[in-house]
Amino acid sequence: MSDTRVRSSLVGVVVLALFSALFARLWYIQVASHEQFSTAATNNSVREIVEPPVRGRILDAQGRVLVDNRVGNRITVDRKLSVTERQKVLQRLAPVLKLPVKTLDARAGDRRISPYTAVPVAYDVDFATLAYVSEHRREFPGVRAEAIPVREYPNKNLGAHVLGYLGEINPTELKAQVDPTQYQLGDKIGKSGVELTYESDLRGKPGLRQVEVDATGRVLRPLKTRSSVPGDDVRLTLNIDVQRATETALAQGITAARESQDFANRDTFTKLKATAGAAIVLDAATGSVVALASQPDFDPNEFVDGIPQARWVQLGAKENNLPLVNRAVAGQYFPGSTFKLVTAVAALNSQIINANTLFDDTGEYRYPTDPKNPFRGENANGRVNLSRALTVSSDPYFYKIGGDLFYRQKHGQPGGDAIQSAARDFGFGQPTGIALPTEGSGLIADAAWTKRMHETDPKNFPFADWLPGDNIQSAIGQKDILVTPIQLATAYEALANGGTRFSPRLADEVRDVNRKLVRSLDPITAGTLSIPERSTLMSGFTGVIEDPKGTAVQAFAGFPTGLAAGKTGTAQVAGKQNTSWFVGMTPAVNPKYIVLAVVEEGGYGAQTAAPIVRAIMDHLNGLPQAPVVNIAQRTRG
Amino acid sequence: MAIVVSDRRARLQESPLRHLDPFLFGAPALLAALGTLMVYASTRHKLEAQHLDPLYFVKRQIIAITVGIVVMVVLMFIDYRRLRELSLLGYGATILMLLAVLKVGASVKGAQARFDIGAFQLQPGEFAKIFLTLVLAAYCTRHREEMGARRLVVAILICAVPLGLIILQPDLGTDVVLMAMVFTMIMMAGARARHLVVLLLLGLTVTVGAVQAGVLDQYQIDRITSFQNLNADKQGTAYNQKQSILTVGSGGLTGKGLFAGSQTNGAQVPEQHTDFIFTVVGEEFGFVGSALVLALFAMIVWRTSRAARLAQDPFGSLCCIGVLAMFVAQVFENVGMATGIMPVTGIPLPFMSYGGSSVIVSFACIGLVGNVRMRRFS
Repeated sequence: MSDTRVRSSLVGVVVLALFSALFARLWYIQVASHEQFSTAATNNSVREIVEPPVRGRILDAQGRVLVDNRVGNRITVDRKLSVTERQKVLQRLAPVLKLPVKTLDARAGDRRISPYTAVPVAYDVDFATLAYVSEHRREFPGVRAEAIPVREYPNKNLGAHVLGYLGEINPTELKAQVDPTQYQLGDKIGKSGVELTYESDLRGKPGLRQVEVDATGRVLRPLKTRSSVPGDDVRLTLNIDVQRATETALAQGITAARESQDFANRDTFTKLKATAGAAIVLDAATGSVVALASQPDFDPNEFVDGIPQARWVQLGAKENNLPLVNRAVAGQYFPGSTFKLVTAVAALNSQIINANTLFDDTGEYRYPTDPKNPFRGENANGRVNLSRALTVSSDPYFYKIGGDLFYRQKHGQPGGDAIQSAARDFGFGQPTGIALPTEGSGLIADAAWTKRMHETDPKNFPFADWLPGDNIQSAIGQKDILVTPIQLATAYEALANGGTRFSPRLADEVRDVNRKLVRSLDPITAGTLSIPERSTLMSGFTGVIEDPKGTAVQAFAGFPTGLAAGKTGTAQVAGKQNTSWFVGMTPAVNPKYIVLAVVEEGGYGAQTAAPIVRAIMDHLNGLPQAPVVNIAQRTRG
Repeated sequence: MAIVVSDRRARLQESPLRHLDPFLFGAPALLAALGTLMVYASTRHKLEAQHLDPLYFVKRQIIAITVGIVVMVVLMFIDYRRLRELSLLGYGATILMLLAVLKVGASVKGAQARFDIGAFQLQPGEFAKIFLTLVLAAYCTRHREEMGARRLVVAILICAVPLGLIILQPDLGTDVVLMAMVFTMIMMAGARARHLVVLLLLGLTVTVGAVQAGVLDQYQIDRITSFQNLNADKQGTAYNQKQSILTVGSGGLTGKGLFAGSQTNGAQVPEQHTDFIFTVVGEEFGFVGSALVLALFAMIVWRTSRAARLAQDPFGSLCCIGVLAMFVAQVFENVGMATGIMPVTGIPLPFMSYGGSSVIVSFACIGLVGNVRMRRFS
């Protein structure tokens, strides 16, 4: 072989070796370890954008819309604009949107917005603005209008405390989520009311859009999209008409009270403050909430675009009587005479009395060991039995029950804590479990509680012992008995339906966007109790309305007979005007509805609360409606 | 009339055009076409983002290819033996251009390697490839006797001048390619084995010396050292090569499809349309496409080696060997750098990388080889 041939072969071999090396390397990275590089390349360039789902609606019992979504428009600014371009556009946009440039700039730079989507700078703009921006497109490069669902409460303040409102999710709420992929910062979440308690039904599932981005983060093309799943519709047991009637009656009653005299103050003429109140309508057979109102109220629409800070402070201010507080479930009040239902049942249970036991109401009651300090009632009602005592709201009758039970307690006889245990049977001292946030527990004080409080806070609780006065005052719903309106309503509901205590039901059905039933919510029984002498009690409560001496007879003047029973309550509050209560049942026999009203600093029960209940009952029974007036009644009841 | 026809046929049979090699021209044409498509794939998004014509680079590349083909055709019509005389002129011109570029050239990414002539750039280093091939082949084959030590030294000196000027730019990649070319040519010209060993050592010493003496800029040294440790720096050369390997690797067997490469669309590989054009093929057409590109280059190498063997004289043969060595070195270095088996030295992939000088010189080389081949009988 010649030298040249050898050299050519050598070159050939080298060339072959080099090409083989390249082929081998390509095979190695493209075929053998493809998986690894493929994954790395995907991580390099694929970004995920979360698309929020459309929230479910909230409907009333008849399917009428309480909370809806309407199509709103928001203005977005393209991320692809350079900083100077964006600045120029925002400066031109500011006067059109009537927003300061600073605000727009801050919104455009919001880091919570996915960097792969256009940034919204103005939410829910009106049509005129929208038209202007689209007509002057050249002046606003990169500016676009997007249709978005906007939460809408078409009835404004109606049912505000039940419906609640939305707000941006905060880090704590985000952390508390079981499935963190369902929310991200900037998302709206239910903050109160049904919007909060049925959040998981209403929310829906966010969609996911994968996009390919370049090395600088610009979006190149969409990859795959998983559509969002709209939230489910929640049907409440609330009835819009009853709710409206309830709210109107409550508001009118409060307005009327503010023009009326506080009869408890006998020295000078003072008007009632009637700072706040609540009203509830329950379905006696199912425990469903038909109406639930609290005053003062608010418009949940204010929260839709994020509530301005100043307004938020206003809504949370004490001098404005805390409009956001749902007093129907969160308000805790002395029940006053409305509590006599519990005392009566306790007395019958412990056989201190029977239905016919007569008591001479002389206007006061003296406890044997301390006859010098009598417990006074409003009037002397003469000889009364149980039914009569309820009708005329005889305090001494019930003082005696409290006193006698205390005597038993003191002497170690059984049944001495009958009032407290009956109260617990009726559901007091614990939340009812209604699907609304911030529900109060109330308080049923007893010997153990008194001792505990004295030990932890001896300054405010100077007595370690449960004294006769404690039990006697408890018997008429004073002292350390605190109840929420919803607790009191469910207690009277148990009386009305013969002993079933419900956990009030607020919603009965959840349906998906295709109207398919997701789940139905049955009435929830929280407990049952036997109610002795039910007919006696009912006749006593009917007498409240129908007997000439009944405490609420004036408020129910002209109301058809047999259609209502109830109990007035006037609770004394240190340093404040009386709390005005009325719990009614309609009709009087086999009641269908429980109707309750309470007005803080509203004076006597018969004066302010009873007319409110009467107006609601008028509506429930299809009777003609008259504006709620304040009754110039001077009996405490 | 029949006589005229037969006369024309006879003339045609004598014509060198009858001995054209279709494979030699087909492969570069396919590579250039594919290259243009890849340039488009890798630049359109970036250009669109800046509101520029997405075909900007494509149009310029097509102009370069057209010029390259014209140069190739013109080169073929001049008998290569006449190029022998012209080669010294070209060589001299190249030296002058290399000198001038150091003085007045535009600096791009730390290297002073090109002139800006209007909207186009001229890289004298690229032209040095073909003129050095010609002048070295001419010198080595001028005498019939074998390559003695003295003639070898002269040959080395002829090469040392442009090589030295190029390393001053500094353009290490082109120098390495030229050295491989020169070594192969000298070897095939019949230099003694021990001389070749000395030469090999000398080449290594010069390269290492250049790195040590600080002729090279830090970035070039970094490129070579970072080759060992790809995770060393985030945005520098190692990043470039890491992204490059990732891009080729993510293509898989058949690739992600034309315009569907996420790495390419996302501009994840710096310098993709020039030195890293191979990564576009790798990502969008996968192993199949990459292998096809290598096969096309192999085809060029094979046809060039045939031309070298069939050449009528040693000058033609040695010219072909120079071109062959240059293409092999350049393809190996370029694809090797894109796939991570060679350090990053900025050299283009012949016919495919965006860049006028490279494309024109590549076609000129094919013209030279075609010239030698078609005149093998005349």
